[in-house]
Amino acid sequence: MAESEEEVDVLVQRVVKDIANAFKKNPSIDEIGVIPCPEARYNRSPIVLVENKLGVESWCVKFLLPYVHNKLLLYRQRKHWLDREALVDITCTLLLLNPDFTTAWNVRKELLQCGVLNPEKDLYLGKLALTKFPKSPETWIHRRWVLQQVLNQVSTLDHNKNQQQAEAVQADAERNEQLSDRLARTLRQEMKVCSDAAGRYPSNYNAWSHRIWVLQHMARGNVKVLHDELSSMRVWVSMHVSDHSGFHYRQFLLKELIAEICKRPAHTSTSCSPQRGCSTVPEGSPCPHSRSHSNGEPSGQEAGGEEDSHADFTTVLQLFHQEMDLCSDLIQSFPGHETLWSHRRHVFYLWDQWVREHQHSCSRGSDCKLIHLTDPDPGVPEISSQSCAGQGHGVNGQKHASEPMEVDGLFLPDPHNSKRLKRGVLLPCPPTLPTELSFVSSVLGGCCNTEQRHFALAYRKWLDTVIGLQS
Amino acid sequence: MSFEKKVEQSIQEVMSVYKQIHSLPQPTLLREQHYQYLKKGLRHLSDAYECLDASRPWLCFWILHSLELLQEPIPAAVASDVCQFLARCQSPTGGFAGGPGQHAHLAPTYAAVNALCIIGTDEAYNVIDREKLLDFLWSVKQPDGSFVMHVGGEVDVRSAYCAASVASLTNILTPKLFENTTNWILSCQNWEGGLSGVPGLEAHGGYTFCGTAALVILGKEHMLDLKALLRWVVSRQMRFEGGFQGRCNKLVDGCYSFWQAGLLPLLHRALYKEGESELSQQRWMFEQQALQEYILLCCQNPTGGLLDKPGKSRDFYHTCYCLSGLSIAQHFGNMDNHYEVILGKEENRLAPTHPVYNICPEKVAQALQHFLRMPVPEVSRQPGGSGEDRPSDAAAASSSADLQS
Repeated sequence: MAESEEEVDVLVQRVVKDIANAFKKNPSIDEIGVIPCPEARYNRSPIVLVENKLGVESWCVKFLLPYVHNKLLLYRQRKHWLDREALVDITCTLLLLNPDFTTAWNVRKELLQCGVLNPEKDLYLGKLALTKFPKSPETWIHRRWVLQQVLNQVSTLDHNKNQQQAEAVQADAERNEQLSDRLARTLRQEMKVCSDAAGRYPSNYNAWSHRIWVLQHMARGNVKVLHDELSSMRVWVSMHVSDHSGFHYRQFLLKELIAEICKRPAHTSTSCSPQRGCSTVPEGSPCPHSRSHSNGEPSGQEAGGEEDSHADFTTVLQLFHQEMDLCSDLIQSFPGHETLWSHRRHVFYLWDQWVREHQHSCSRGSDCKLIHLTDPDPGVPEISSQSCAGQGHGVNGQKHASEPMEVDGLFLPDPHNSKRLKRGVLLPCPPTLPTELSFVSSVLGGCCNTEQRHFALAYRKWLDTVIGLQS
Repeated sequence: MSFEKKVEQSIQEVMSVYKQIHSLPQPTLLREQHYQYLKKGLRHLSDAYECLDASRPWLCFWILHSLELLQEPIPAAVASDVCQFLARCQSPTGGFAGGPGQHAHLAPTYAAVNALCIIGTDEAYNVIDREKLLDFLWSVKQPDGSFVMHVGGEVDVRSAYCAASVASLTNILTPKLFENTTNWILSCQNWEGGLSGVPGLEAHGGYTFCGTAALVILGKEHMLDLKALLRWVVSRQMRFEGGFQGRCNKLVDGCYSFWQAGLLPLLHRALYKEGESELSQQRWMFEQQALQEYILLCCQNPTGGLLDKPGKSRDFYHTCYCLSGLSIAQHFGNMDNHYEVILGKEENRLAPTHPVYNICPEKVAQALQHFLRMPVPEVSRQPGGSGEDRPSDAAAASSSADLQS
């Protein structure tokens, strides 16, 4: 069926219009797709809108795509003029069919910069494109560009606000609240987009990399967000136990959290100071009222350096313990997944590194003594029986090897620290080389899955050769 | 059933069918079929029409490199056509774009320069505007040592490799151009031992190759944690399939036959230079035979072209990198000490490929010879730059000289 150029022209114009109208009709479209349909059977539009799903019948794509692509290129070469509305519609059509077409995103960048488009439109378009093309590198790249524009806008506004400090403080505070609300909303939306894309394609490198970028740029140093992400990701990774990228994200969160926790000296909650600007979601938003809202922030609220640094260690230890717990749980429940073992390695490696780095600073306070994790040197006089919580049983009833009498490497608080004892904080047992080796033994003892055996043995080899050699 | 199990099953089927048909397993490289597939692709390379593809220089490289590995000659007329086409992809401000009239980008620049070096005629070399190319590299260089892929674009470690590759081949490389680049690349190596696209992300096969090869060009590969990198990459060869995965717990993919296996020659040489005494004189540190088996039994389309894994369609990208990986798996060493492991018939043998640039070693040597005769261009950005920046011959020349001497 040879289409004349005129017929194609008419068809394409109609299709582009139909797509634009579909969005006008239903601004809540949340998914796009191509409907396998080799031939146009009736004289009707190939654009199908059912509830919130937009479909394009496949027969028209081979006409549509080259035509629209060519039109845009001609526009770029100044051989053909397109007005702004046409540009918006055409790029929209193009990007829904081929979101890696950089030129189309670049045209939209220009439209954004001259105010024809607002950033939300492109974030929406990108989100839709990702429902069909969850990896699309150019879509993620453009998304970051748009978000950067939004962040620049916000910090400009903030800067301008500071210039008029003498004026209505109340109005400023409200505007600030709106800004940080907007940012918080944007942040949540990005997390959702990443999550959806990660669910659509296993180990979606680009989606997870974007997620990390968003946190680095929109929630820098925000302990609450990091904690929330860590906790909301628990469920996700438990349902995607082969998703290496998902677990890598947890490793990133852990690292960031620990860095943030340990960064702060004798601290009160870090409020968002006006000078700093609010281009990241402030910790206890809205700022500058954050002092009174701690939003369930973990330890570290009290004044007093010694207490705080100790609380830090507790928090860090708890974080690692929880992570190892999660890992053990999943390893037991889902035998034979390399990612889980890789994650264990990483968490242990992080812990091991952290311990080495903080050995000296920890013993600064009279409050605790950290023995090297693989150091066989005893020299531990009295051990408070309270000091090791959960030491008898781990997950699934698996016994930890670290009994109170275990001298080979334990994080021991000074039992004479009465303040601590009064608070009755029970510390979980830290991961150590011996506990890890014993974990491996218990897995080997209990399993018949060949892959699981292989990974357990490989982990043990790694512990012996890599970690063991470092001491 | 998980994806991984499905892949293993499909490969199992392939292997058992093969064994049923052939009493003595003799996997065969379908040379003729691949040649026809590539020839067809070649015909359309220099077509004048505006194509949907923003990867035309890539197509040139993938096809030309595949042909040179198969030791099929490129007709002079075609070579000339390709030269003229690539000239049209060159940006007036330097570097090459995905197609005529587009903006320069480091990836097609890498591909174009490689393709032109494969052609290796004076016409091909003369296409490259070296002065403008250097300007382009400066325009994408960042203060922290990294490079963006194109002006206004994003950074990732591929860009450093693309920049180092073209700069060293065309002799426009100066130490200043790559100031801080080494440290930036090093910061991409993570605890796993592999390298990520950008510091802090997951280790990934493609990025690991690019970062490592870039450091080899800059002469700084010893600054990596080589043992950790070795541990990481050897763990990426799948025990059942024989091919390589791009990242931990992912599926096998034929293209990683080059991106991952290609790291072993680089590591071998780096460790050797570090005085490592336990290195083999005959084998790379991966299962060469198993990889060849995977490629020959599972990655060939019976009508020509190679692919990711059974069930996937063929394309020129996979054709190029499967063949490149096959070549790596067949050839150990350099001209001094060369050892071959050819699975199946002798006719399966491919030409060796240079593990840094991934074009044939003779073409690397020839290009270097040609461009080293020319002075390093002066850049407008460099105040008083004449004579100050001598070409950094050591890294580039020696890396190929080693394979030649």
